[in-house]
Amino acid sequence: MTLRKTPLHDLHQRLGATLVDFAGWRMPVRYPAGIIAEHIAVRTNAGLFDISHMGRLAFAGPDARSFLRHVLTNDAGRLKLGQAHYTLMADEAGRALDDAFLYRTKAEEYILVVNAANTEKDLKHIETAAAGFRNVRIRNITGELAILALSGPLARRIVEGLLEDAGALPARSNRLTRLTVGGIDVVVATTGYTGEPNSFEIFLATADAQAAWQMLIEAGASPCGLGARDTLRLEAGLPLFGHEYGRAPDGSFIPVLANRAATHAVDLSCGRTGFIGRSALIAQRDAAAGREQPRQLIQPLAVMGRSAGRTGDRVLSLKGRAVGWVTSGTVVPYEGNRTRTPLHRKEAPLRAAALALVDADVGPLDRVVIESRRRRLDAWVVPFHLRREGTRTRAVVYRMNKKLGGADALYCEY
Amino acid sequence: MDPKKLKFADTHEWAFAQGDIVIVGISDYAVHELHEITYVELPSVGDPTVQAEPFGEVESVKTVAELNAPCDGEIVEINEAVGDDPDILAADPYGDGWLIKIQSSDVDQLVDLMSWEQYKLYIEEEAEEEEDEEEEDEDDLDEA
Repeated sequence: MTLRKTPLHDLHQRLGATLVDFAGWRMPVRYPAGIIAEHIAVRTNAGLFDISHMGRLAFAGPDARSFLRHVLTNDAGRLKLGQAHYTLMADEAGRALDDAFLYRTKAEEYILVVNAANTEKDLKHIETAAAGFRNVRIRNITGELAILALSGPLARRIVEGLLEDAGALPARSNRLTRLTVGGIDVVVATTGYTGEPNSFEIFLATADAQAAWQMLIEAGASPCGLGARDTLRLEAGLPLFGHEYGRAPDGSFIPVLANRAATHAVDLSCGRTGFIGRSALIAQRDAAAGREQPRQLIQPLAVMGRSAGRTGDRVLSLKGRAVGWVTSGTVVPYEGNRTRTPLHRKEAPLRAAALALVDADVGPLDRVVIESRRRRLDAWVVPFHLRREGTRTRAVVYRMNKKLGGADALYCEY
Repeated sequence: MDPKKLKFADTHEWAFAQGDIVIVGISDYAVHELHEITYVELPSVGDPTVQAEPFGEVESVKTVAELNAPCDGEIVEINEAVGDDPDILAADPYGDGWLIKIQSSDVDQLVDLMSWEQYKLYIEEEAEEEEDEEEEDEDDLDEA
């Protein structure tokens, strides 16, 4: 299969990026600085990602709004011009087909940004679902625009420095506006996937992508690859399709509403009728509330030691009962007290973090065991790994008091 | 240790026999490819090893790689320093970064491994294959 390249491909190569095949695209997984340094750059300064591989579907016409209300779980009807929201696309059985961001770019025009690997599949589902809607034009515009994601405590200052009118940048998240950044016409959205309060996704013409990238780097952002994008989203507890949405390791489908993020993306209010998957999702919600089936939740786990386990590892209660699965796991660097590095890294201490699908009667702050292939890892269900503090975030680090042992041995450094 | 005197497996472990004791590590190339090694999991002293079967794992931020034994035998020593600080492995893969010592039950098994010269050619081929893939992509693009 021919791998697609973003308009920044040659630039990534010149920067010495390690390029990998990702969902049919040749993408940078890291630059010479490495994933750890890139992750820290986002948390302390600003990082710049090329996310031009993300699938983009455009919807235009008088029926665009009503069609999107039909095919997506969130209520596109509530989006005003210049607003965006997180949404899901479900099938009639209430299973997540994809998670996505919907942007209202004009009165009768919307752009849906979907996972690269799902773009074709999504488009097929959407075209089938559009059969009864005559006045909506649906186009796959992936590749017609580049997208740069800029994230970190300095991100706002960097963009503002390149604007003629600094006040034009939206203050609130989930907004978008047309701006001229350093002479380049762009659409800037205050959305992102790193957990940073200052996150911007910049949509622009492919011909301008290299110039914009270089301008943002010169203004202080560090190039970051998909590796850091994954460690950042995991630390922030954000779901990834194929891990926290889709099939669980045992082949069953993860209940959509097991994700905290999904509760903001699925509108089950009584006025919101007629969208695909609604009745199944209501049944899912009510069954869980009525305890007809064990409710499961995606929860963050703090894993002790240097390995987080990996997708598909079993999670056991302290008594040895199987209570869930690891859906994502990695080691995550944090900006720690440099005089005391609990793990081996000199440049930044590391901690192991996972997301797991666990029975709702487990946690938070319950101790569990991850059964990894060769070993059993001590872990706790925790509320979060990261907290927002004004315009930045701070790592919440959990440790085990080995003298105490038992379920009460967890303490938190914050 | 001088890498020219070591034997290499196609899975990038090196081995060096001193009598029937075989010292095992991973190559400089493997360290470079794994990048940012965060964890090395080693077996316990007394564990058996089987040629070409895993005895441990190396984890980096984004990957997990199995470590395969070069020969049958029994673990007699592990490098606990590397377990505590994987940076040692990255800094000196042929010296302080050794991983295990095996009491080999059949040292002749090491003839199955590559010499340094053979291994160098082998990793060059691996790198070229990747480049070829890139070139193919570009040909395809031209056609498109």
